[in-house]
Amino acid sequence: MTIPASPPCEAEAAICARGIIRDFEAGQTTIRVLHGIDAEIRSGEMTYVVGESGSGKTTLISIMCGILWPTAGEVKVFGTDIYKLSDTELVNFRLNNIGFIFQQYNLIPSIDAAANAAVPLIAKGMPVEEAREKAKVLLDKLNIGNQADKLPRQLSGGQQQRVAIARALVHEPRLVVCDEPTAALDARSGRRVMDLLREVAVAPDRACIIVTHDNRIFDLADRIIVLEDGRITHDGKEMPDGH
Amino acid sequence: MALLPRNLSFSRQLLPVIAVIGMVVAAWYIVGSLPDRTTIAPAEQPPKPVGELANAPRVAGAGIVEPASEVIDIGSALSGLVTDVRVKPGDKVAAGEVLFLVDARAARANLAQATAAIREARAAIVEAETAQRTARQQLALYRSLTDPAAVSRSEVIRAEGEEAAATTRLGLARARLAAAEAAAAASRTEIERLTVRAPIAGEILAVNIHPGEFVATQGGSSQPFIQMGNTDPLHVRIDIDENEAVRVKLGAPAVVSPRGAAELHVTATFVRAEPQVVPKRSLTNSAAERVDVRVLQLIYALPKTDRFRVGQQVDAFIPAKSAPAGGGN
Amino acid sequence: MLWIAIRMLTGDAQKFYGLLFGIAFSTLLITQQMTIFVNLVQRGASGVFNAPEAEVWVMDPVSRTTDVSYAMPATALDKVRSVPGVEWAVPHLRAVANVRTAEGDLEGVAVIGVDDATLIGLPRRMAQGDKSVLFAPDAVAIDDTGAQRFFPAGASPIGARLELNDQRAVIRGIADAIPSFTSTVVLYTRYSNALNFVPGTRNRLSFVLVGVSEGQTPEQVADRIEAETGLKAKTRDEFAQAGIDFIIENTGIPTNFGITVFLGFVVGVAIVGLTFSLFIRDNIKQFGALKAIGVTNGKIVRMVAAQAGLVGMIGYALGVVGTVLFIYGFSANPFFKGFYIPWQVPLISLVAVVIILAITGLIAIRSVLRTEPAAVFR
Repeated sequence: MTIPASPPCEAEAAICARGIIRDFEAGQTTIRVLHGIDAEIRSGEMTYVVGESGSGKTTLISIMCGILWPTAGEVKVFGTDIYKLSDTELVNFRLNNIGFIFQQYNLIPSIDAAANAAVPLIAKGMPVEEAREKAKVLLDKLNIGNQADKLPRQLSGGQQQRVAIARALVHEPRLVVCDEPTAALDARSGRRVMDLLREVAVAPDRACIIVTHDNRIFDLADRIIVLEDGRITHDGKEMPDGH
Repeated sequence: MALLPRNLSFSRQLLPVIAVIGMVVAAWYIVGSLPDRTTIAPAEQPPKPVGELANAPRVAGAGIVEPASEVIDIGSALSGLVTDVRVKPGDKVAAGEVLFLVDARAARANLAQATAAIREARAAIVEAETAQRTARQQLALYRSLTDPAAVSRSEVIRAEGEEAAATTRLGLARARLAAAEAAAAASRTEIERLTVRAPIAGEILAVNIHPGEFVATQGGSSQPFIQMGNTDPLHVRIDIDENEAVRVKLGAPAVVSPRGAAELHVTATFVRAEPQVVPKRSLTNSAAERVDVRVLQLIYALPKTDRFRVGQQVDAFIPAKSAPAGGGN
Repeated sequence: MLWIAIRMLTGDAQKFYGLLFGIAFSTLLITQQMTIFVNLVQRGASGVFNAPEAEVWVMDPVSRTTDVSYAMPATALDKVRSVPGVEWAVPHLRAVANVRTAEGDLEGVAVIGVDDATLIGLPRRMAQGDKSVLFAPDAVAIDDTGAQRFFPAGASPIGARLELNDQRAVIRGIADAIPSFTSTVVLYTRYSNALNFVPGTRNRLSFVLVGVSEGQTPEQVADRIEAETGLKAKTRDEFAQAGIDFIIENTGIPTNFGITVFLGFVVGVAIVGLTFSLFIRDNIKQFGALKAIGVTNGKIVRMVAAQAGLVGMIGYALGVVGTVLFIYGFSANPFFKGFYIPWQVPLISLVAVVIILAITGLIAIRSVLRTEPAAVFR
């Protein structure tokens, strides 16, 4: 299979993915999930990656944020070719540059909200109390400062999500990846979350990727990348018709 | 929990602290209750070689103190009742000194009887001599008469017979005197034999008889009547295992300690080795010991000291010739 | 991150205490059983330890332990005394006799004859009375466990009369002795008395106890005694070991205790392994998230190691404290008299705990290390 030579990335691109191919072994056969993706994510924008289940959007996003090796292709994040880094360097690169908001939040149940939010700082080696103080500032900004000493199970789902958002932002990453932030929420709550994300996560020097198939919030995107069967079928400000 | 600080966690803070304290206490208990398995020095000194012998080849033996003359068990020649005991234990006696007397009344009666018989025999001799003299004078008178008719022949024969009879009677009386004197001498000897005397000069070690007791000469009586011996100097008889005997340096002085006073070390001079190797006897402890071990007995003279007594057991160390080459066997 | 790891662990109280219980139970089982085992087989050497002065024991070549001995001729004592390096040597008699108590009961006892003059061969201390009481005629000293067996609680055995092989014996003291393996009642008396108490055989001298001259080691002297006398000479340590080996070879104790210790280990592995695996599985998503956020595998391993370490430390401490309390609580019981925890035993159980945690931790952490960070997006 020949892949057309891709044009070089824009210089200011936060993520520059070129010729991403990803195969999965399934018994005897190999399934190609991504068919040579070229994509760019720009700083200061909220970029949506949209697609049906099985379209390869999760695989793409995993590869773009350095947690899944591509079969072929290269990914540059802020100019660093991340798959040329060693394992440890890649992990530290993620720690320093990327914030994650997982669909199920994955908060640690036995530490309080402030500590959960402070996990990336703690992982960087910051003393726990100092990290919690920093996280508390952020929690205040997210309007749950008064819940900082509570354990995740004592918080509502929305509050837990705010803690997860705080965790993604506390170390001021240049790239924030957010997986299905509105999947479990009704329309109003979903919009509130997206408004919040727009407010806190989007910054001029920060790229924000939202993985979603929630069409209720498409209008909030700066840019939408549509994936179908491992290929990008649309890349633009608005959703194409039919979605 | 109200007394505790609000943030204090039982499982994270209290429990580890409790665990550490528990470990310290447990370690303290474990170390503190370890048994004392060290060796200790004996409270009382056991017998041990001293001086040069401590590091030199040596032979050890157990011994027993005895008089230089060995112990003399005084016996009696005759049986009888004891009438007098002249000595007591510890007395020093000269040779020939009377130790005890056995009832001599029968012997004395015999002596008196014999004395009477002597006197009777002497009287008979006098009487016979008188009769002989008379008969001889009569016979001489008759013989001096030349007139054969002056004395009848029968008169002469009678006078001759009387003279012969008187002579015979005199002989008889002399024989009776000799017999009576012999009897008297026998009685005197017997009286002497009933008086028991010291055979040598020495010390009385034991007196096992009292006046009134019967001493028998037969039937191996259990105890000797009187034990004595020459205790100046004392000797010590040391048993050396026959296996060790060849190593002993004969003639070298021995270091001797009495039982129970091991801190006392006395140097004893060599006297002699018994020529015969004998089954071990007079052993360390029980009289009933029966062993097949044979021992060489060495005799050593103890210096003058009041620490030793006859019959006392001692531990002795004697120099050996040299270290056994290559392990002995 | 260790701060988080510890909170992850203690946050799940159920599993945390399950792990603690597993480790504590294993430690208790291993430590306590090994302690009892060690103490029990050391009973085989109690005779050696009860004669604290002796540095070398001399015996007939066929003798094996203090209780399995063949008597020597009395001159053996002098032979031993003749060996250079022997500072002193005293006779020692060990024999069995039947005793008739005041109630008329017949009981087998061990009679130990110690040196007449120095009393070498008596235990270190007397529980009651002074050692010098043995100088009295017909005097014996009974060991303390024997006193408890012979006499009802509260009744003082001092002055009690025993009939020993038709001989009169009067108890005048109680010795503070380590009981023997069979807990036989022991009567200590002087050598000459012992000869009377024990029926006469040709040779009576069981052992010669030897003290070593200054500047000599017991090993040197023992070797020299063996070479020069043809008798068997063992240092105190060797002879104690011989007594222990005899128990180990001739009883099923090592097997039984070995099985229990092994079970303790297996139970520990099972409980801790299952609980730990469950705990890790419950937290696998959190670990995955941490990996995605940027925590290296090395740090994850350290987190799990810290969790295992905390569980191990607390559980181990509880187990050891439990053993100490057990031994301490039973120290008044005659069976446990003189029991102690050898310092090696807690170290062995510590090693066992470390192995248990290493095995179970490795099993549990494998799933974490295998987890793709990408899995958090599914």
